[in-house]
Formats: sequence, C-alpha cells, structure tokens
Amino acid sequence: MTEASLPEISAASSPPGGRGTRRARAALPLLLGLPVALWQVAFFVLPLAFLVVVTFWKVRNFRLAPAFDLANWEKVLTSTPFQRALVYTAEVALVATVLSMLLAFPAAHAIALRLSARARGRWIAFLIIPVFSSYILKVYAWQVVLSPGGLVNTGLALLGLPAADLLGGTLSLNIGLLTLTLPVVTLILTFALMGMDHSLIEAARNLGASKVQVLTQVTLPAIKPGLGLAGVTAFLLSFGDYASPVFLTGSNPPTLAILIVDTVKSGSQWPRASVIGVSMLAILALAFVLVQALTQKRKTR
Amino acid sequence: MTGRILRNLYLAALALFIAMPMLVIVVFSFDANRFPALPWGGFTLNWHREALADAMILSAMKNSVIVSLGTAVLATVLGFSAAYLDYRYMFFGKRPLMLAVAVPPAVPVTILGMAMLAALSRTPMFGTPAGIIVCHVAIAVSFSMALIRLRLGELGPDLEAAAWNLGASPLAALWHVVIPFCKPSLIAAFCLSAAVSFDEFMVAWFVGGVNETLPVRVLNLLQGQVNPKINAIGTLVLAISLILVTLAQRFARLGGAGKETA
Repeated sequence: MTEASLPEISAASSPPGGRGTRRARAALPLLLGLPVALWQVAFFVLPLAFLVVVTFWKVRNFRLAPAFDLANWEKVLTSTPFQRALVYTAEVALVATVLSMLLAFPAAHAIALRLSARARGRWIAFLIIPVFSSYILKVYAWQVVLSPGGLVNTGLALLGLPAADLLGGTLSLNIGLLTLTLPVVTLILTFALMGMDHSLIEAARNLGASKVQVLTQVTLPAIKPGLGLAGVTAFLLSFGDYASPVFLTGSNPPTLAILIVDTVKSGSQWPRASVIGVSMLAILALAFVLVQALTQKRKTR
Repeated sequence: MTGRILRNLYLAALALFIAMPMLVIVVFSFDANRFPALPWGGFTLNWHREALADAMILSAMKNSVIVSLGTAVLATVLGFSAAYLDYRYMFFGKRPLMLAVAVPPAVPVTILGMAMLAALSRTPMFGTPAGIIVCHVAIAVSFSMALIRLRLGELGPDLEAAAWNLGASPLAALWHVVIPFCKPSLIAAFCLSAAVSFDEFMVAWFVGGVNETLPVRVLNLLQGQVNPKINAIGTLVLAISLILVTLAQRFARLGGAGKETA
C-alpha cells in the first residue's frame, strides 16, 4: 500500500486525496456544478441576455434581423401608451405594496409575538399554501365573487339591496393583487419578527416605553431588513403581474405586463416588447438596490 | 380583553380573505347554477363530469402531469447539486452561479416567458412539454436548492469527515452519508418543484404553443365565455397543489423550524 492511498486522519475537514489526485478532487464538484451551471446559463441567463440584444434588432418583412439600432428604445420610451402604462403600473404596484404591508404587519405581529408556538406553526403552514397554489384560479374566483351577476351582488339582491359595481376598478384590482402579495408579505414579516431579539421589546417596556414607542423605536427598526424584503417582494409581484389587471380590470388601463403580452402575441414587434421587458427589469433592479441600500445602513451601525 | 378579541377577529378576517377564492372555487364546482350565484342552485357533479369528458382538459391534464413530474425530478437533482456545491466548496464563480440559481423566481414571469420564448423559438423544444420543462426547471431549482441547503446546514461537519477518514471517497461519502441525510428535504424539494411547475401559467403559455398545461387551459377558458367547468378543474388543481405543498412542508418541517426559533 502506498502512502497516498492511506486514509488521511489529519485532513478531516476537507475531502480526501493528496498529491497527484488534484484532478480526482476537482472531478466531483465539476460533475455536480457543470449541469446546474449550464442549465441556468442556457435557460435563464442567455434568454435574458438575448432579450437585451433583441432590443437593438430590427424587424424587416416581419422577421427579426440583427442590427444595432436605438430606434426601438427611442420609439418605446417616447410613446405615450408606454409612458402612461409605466406611470400607471408603478402607481398600482406602489399602492399594492403599501396596502399589503399595512394589512400584513398587524397579522404578522400577532402571529410572531402573540400566538402560541403551535398556532404560529399552523399559521405559517396556512400562509405557505396560497403562495404555491394556482393564482390564475384565485383571480377567476374573485371575478365570480365581484362581477355584476356574481356572489356579492346576487347576495345583495336577496337582501333587497341595490347592486354594487365592484368589478373593473381600483378595488377589484387591489383585491386581486393582495391575493398575490398578502400571504408572502405576511410570511416574510412573521419570520422577521420571530427572528428579532425579543428581549429588546421587554427591555423597552420595562423602561416605560409606550406600545407605540416600542413599535416605532424598537420593533420596526429591528426588522428593517425584513421590511425591505417584504416591500420589494410585494412591489415585484404586483409590478409584473398580468392576471389581475387583465381579468379584474379588463386591461383598462393596460399595465406594462399587458403591453408586453399584447405586443408579443400580436406577432412581429419583438424588439419593442423586449424594450418594455428590459425597462421593467431595470426598474425592479433599481428598486431592489435602493431598498437594499436603505436597509443595509442599519446593519453596519 | 378587547385587544385579544380584536386581534383574533383581524386574523380571522385575513384567513377568510386568503381562503375565500379557493373556497369559492371548490364550493361552486358542486353548484347546479351555470354561473356561480346566490342562492345556491343545488348539488351537482355535472361540471366535474363534463370537465373530465373534455378532451382538451384531459390533454392539458396529461401535459401538466408530465411537465410537473419532469420538472420535479430535474429541479431536485440540480437543486441538490447547487446546494451541496454551496455547502461544501469554495470556487471561482460561485457567487454568480448561486445567483443564477436563486434569482429566477424574482423575475416577473411575463418577462421570463417572453425571454424563454425568444430563446426557444428557434429550437425543436418550442411548443413541446420538454420545452416547458426546461424553463420550469430553471425557475423551480431556486426553491429546491433553498430547501436542501437548509437541511445541509444541519449536517454537522463531522459526519462527512468521519466517512472520509474511514476511507470513503468524496463520492461514496456523498452517496452514503449526505444524500440519506438530505432525504426529507429532497422529497420536499421534489413536491415543491412539482407544485411550482403545476401552477405556473405565463411561461407555459408562451413556451408551450399548442401544448397547453392545466393552468394555461384555465387561462384560455377565462378568455372565453363563462364556463362552469373552470370550477371543476380548479377544484382538482387546488387539491393537487394543496397535497404537494403540504407534503413539502411536512418533509421540510417548515412549521417545526418555526417553533425552534421561538
């Protein structure tokens, strides 16, 4: 038996293999790493990169032709429908973000800090389910509930009350978006509140701080990164959503996601659809960096 | 105490809001009314029967099963690779790789769908279940890696080292020590990836062409007339999602993990 084949007792914290077996040592990570790396590059990174490239291409005779042309950017960014949709989508996403944070926080606070461990576990399990269960169906269900001949209105009629115009406005849109954002935002805030140092709250209470003071000066600052993450998530989900604006407001007015789908499905204007998509990504990246910067400051203190 | 009552009322209202759309689908899939309305029109299984006799729904169901199973298998394997790489090794390019695995769910599916369609449209994968699978894997692997990485964090550094010291090769240690240890999280990752794929409709709509999955079928039914079959398919879809997500939670012990930190 050669020395190299003996089990190494001293090098316990790294995989075996001494001199001359460097290639063997690299084999396993390569074997594990290459497939997943290639996969994510081929089906995620490259498609997005291609999307950026296409924004500079031209459409000739209904076919894409490689070019370096800024005309698509100019055309889209200066067009009124795009600008309107951009402002509207940002507005909608901001409102949905604020609403979902305001509605989720009291619930998360109660779940994380007031409920028993068992009830908390159940709530977490309950909140995870809607995150991964059919959103398109839920939007349809709200259509059924809110439409003129739907559950609410037929219910009102049974009680002899006048019908309410619920579908096709800000209310129904926000109901739809909250269906998307509320469970995940509540989860993030719950985890953030569970993870904070609870003795801080107790200490503040013992020092005579009021409930409001504890909230604004202890609890909220302590979960700042969680607040940031929850806010970014809500914004991201509602900014890019397609189903709620289509089925709960009838695409009127259109959001950026609707513009993309219409442009793509109508055929040839790929470069312009790509410009909208890349602009959306840029805005989301900006929002993420901004929130990250705001919440990171706190950590270094 | 009024504070306590108010708190419970608020939580109940939130739970109702979240559960409402799912309850509506299930309850009214058994309603004899053609359009779901009050009062309840009587119990019927007609819509379920009609949905199950609809050739397009059946083919969508078949596609959905193929796509979500394929996605689940691949996303679990790739997710494990990524999680183990992250846990065990330091190497050049690790951060970009981990980002490429983690980030896809954060990109709006509309944009992702458009990008993936542009990339796949010139390949034979376009319009096939395989095309949907490769795209869904790129999204689901993020969740799968996260679940498995959590579990790997609980594997003490000694166990694998002990195997090496006893003469196991890195591959043998991986196979006989690490993978059995990760088994619950692998099952959880499988179920969650299947659920993610089963519910996804934008990418599947863009990339699938004429091969519709169930949520894409629902999307297309929604664009047409009111159709009570939607409730019936919806009940089935929700039941499958519920089972998959609940299984994922059981095996990942997400509720339990919550208790530990409390």
